[in-house]
Amino acid sequence: MSLEYKITYHAENQYENPVKEARWQFLIIPHEEEGQKVTATHFENSLDFPYEESTNAYGFRTLRILAKSEFERIEFKASFTVLKTAVNPFDFDLPLDPPEDLKRYQTLDFKVEHEPFLRKTPLTTLLEEHAKFFEYRGDKTVFENLVDLNQWVYEKIFYTPGVTHVNTTLDEIVENRHGVCQDFAHLFAAVARQFGIPCRYVSGYLHQGNGYFGDSQMHAWTEAYLLDVGWVGFDPTNNILASENHIKVAHGKDYSDCAPLKGILYSRGGNTTSHSVQVLGQQQQ
Amino acid sequence: MASQENTIFSSYQRDPSLFDELYDDKGEVKRIYKTLFNLYGAHSIEDYMRLNEKAKSSFFNQGITFQVYGDKDTQEKIFPFDLFPRIIDPEEWEVIEKGAIQRSRALNLFLWDIYHEKKILKQGIVPLELISSSENYLHQMMDVDPPGGIYNHISGTDIIKHKDGKYYVLEDNIRCPSGVSYVISNRTALKRALFGVFNHYEAHTVTNYAENLLDLLETVKPKGVDSPNTVVITPGMYNSAFYEHSYLAKTMGVELVEGRDLYVENDFVYMRTIKGPEKVDIIYRRIDDQFMDPLEFRADSALGVPGLFTAYKKGNVTLANAPGTGVADDKAVYTYMPEIIKYYLDETPILNNVHTYHCSRPEELAYVMDHIPELVVKPVDEAGGYGISIGNKLTKEEIETVKKQIKSNPRKYVAQPIMSLSVHPTYIDETNSFEQRHVDLRTFTILGKEREFVLKGGLTRVALRRGNLVVNSSQGGGSKDTWVLKQ
Repeated sequence: MSLEYKITYHAENQYENPVKEARWQFLIIPHEEEGQKVTATHFENSLDFPYEESTNAYGFRTLRILAKSEFERIEFKASFTVLKTAVNPFDFDLPLDPPEDLKRYQTLDFKVEHEPFLRKTPLTTLLEEHAKFFEYRGDKTVFENLVDLNQWVYEKIFYTPGVTHVNTTLDEIVENRHGVCQDFAHLFAAVARQFGIPCRYVSGYLHQGNGYFGDSQMHAWTEAYLLDVGWVGFDPTNNILASENHIKVAHGKDYSDCAPLKGILYSRGGNTTSHSVQVLGQQQQ
Repeated sequence: MASQENTIFSSYQRDPSLFDELYDDKGEVKRIYKTLFNLYGAHSIEDYMRLNEKAKSSFFNQGITFQVYGDKDTQEKIFPFDLFPRIIDPEEWEVIEKGAIQRSRALNLFLWDIYHEKKILKQGIVPLELISSSENYLHQMMDVDPPGGIYNHISGTDIIKHKDGKYYVLEDNIRCPSGVSYVISNRTALKRALFGVFNHYEAHTVTNYAENLLDLLETVKPKGVDSPNTVVITPGMYNSAFYEHSYLAKTMGVELVEGRDLYVENDFVYMRTIKGPEKVDIIYRRIDDQFMDPLEFRADSALGVPGLFTAYKKGNVTLANAPGTGVADDKAVYTYMPEIIKYYLDETPILNNVHTYHCSRPEELAYVMDHIPELVVKPVDEAGGYGISIGNKLTKEEIETVKKQIKSNPRKYVAQPIMSLSVHPTYIDETNSFEQRHVDLRTFTILGKEREFVLKGGLTRVALRRGNLVVNSSQGGGSKDTWVLKQ
């Protein structure tokens, strides 16, 4: 069974003073991978500036716009058609020997190989006392512990838009218990990494149900590395495993590797930005 | 002329506990300095004062100045120049040159490895923690092949002569080592002031640096480029080393640009010129990694070029030095240099390393805590002599402060025995006489594809304050012309 999604990304930027020169980079194109295929992309901006395709440092596709004439307001619109194959995220065997399971993650070879996704980055740094709130159970497999962690993060933070911003630390979030999907993903990654389980931050789109209308934002979840299995997606915001409803764009160590929009402007004064995302799904025969 | 009656050096006081570059243990002037000593002795101190003033104004007039960060007084300063040159004989130089090349080659192989197979980390020879905790270990550089396989095109190796008469390396600077312009202007200034002395010695030229730099950079041009277009990128005129950036561009005959002079289109780099865009193939970069490309690194950087990193990653432009090179510039990595040289080259180090205690290791930390007065404590990630504490110069309270600092972040500090830098007769303004001052030597090594170049000379830096061991220009140091003699 496969599903077809129509994704629309919309951004509007309004500047206080005229912008003389600008460059934007969008990291919003769904990633081509097993079970996920991009069949159409369309991109436009209200000022008809030309755009080019490139990749970011980690190889994910980007769109770049170079503005060469003065402006005060610009609108971007992108749409993608994506085909996803329905998958059962639990479709793998659990190791038979749980107490030894985590030990296999502690060899030097393994740590070196997965070093980037075991790093404490500024956005995934958590005081040890905060990480200790989650109890890793030695009698369970790594996977089962990650499922527990998913639930723990889900219960730890109340989904509340507008409370946190890019510079809010994870410790503040754990103390105040409010945040958005980025914060859930960072917390999950920080704790998993403290136990030596490689974890990456994933940015993408979430399909929230057939016929779902209304504006939403880009979604964030995580992927943890399981020996003998590979990268498995966990969505702590919803306490589920990533499924065919998760349309991945990019991954990185944390949000700063995956920011959907980066802009370099030569202007003074402030600006207001608004984003919206719409995901429409349709079952295919 | 008997040396003891030499007027200009008659007030020179030798501290026998120090290694003097001019005099041997018996108080005799060393062979290579004899002619120079006699030539200088023919001048009076008054001549000297006059020449010294002349040399100073020559630096100001040429605009060879620098600024000190964090200094309230933002006035530009000249890097004080001393008229009495340092001489290195050919045999000694050969050791330095071979040693510098050996280190640069080993560091290059190390960088390739930690950004590719990571064998040295997997075998536990260099601790993973040391590398992964470094901000300069760029995840973005994983599996990127720099053009020609070179990361550290330009290395500045800081070497000292200890009181045992042997050379020791203190630091390998492979981010954006500066100082080479001073080497050349020191030579020019000395020639202007005392042209005659050059008739008596055959010293290697230092003015061939720029042509060799350009030649070697061109050996690592991007694939498919015939005659590469090279530029020097600078953070701008407020950077402390701006004079050097402009000097290098001028002497290489290439453009000096700032970030906004360049732009990236379809992953190629272009320079805006009055005649329209011009493709750029090689960038000698004097901007730190984090400021290089606001799309990949610090987004608030106005110094860099948006999209530059992708252009680099795709092999469309050469960046010298390569991004991520700074991880091997870390003072904690320095301490593994003997192991690194052995591992990649299967050689023993030609130049000595100073023994280093890692505060990250509990037993070494304990030793450091108990022996602060005998040690130099350094933060691992600061350049320019900032944050260094010299144990025997500290008061009791200062020692406690240093201990606290180390305790709060042991990984950040290493400690070394206090090295006794050799001394060289240096003209001191305040006393109008020559006095012993500590010196070091920064050599400049360039790596190209299957070729290398070491500038025969280098920057001899002088700690101008009596007894001071820190020679960096930002800490009030001066410099001397340095002669490497021909065979």
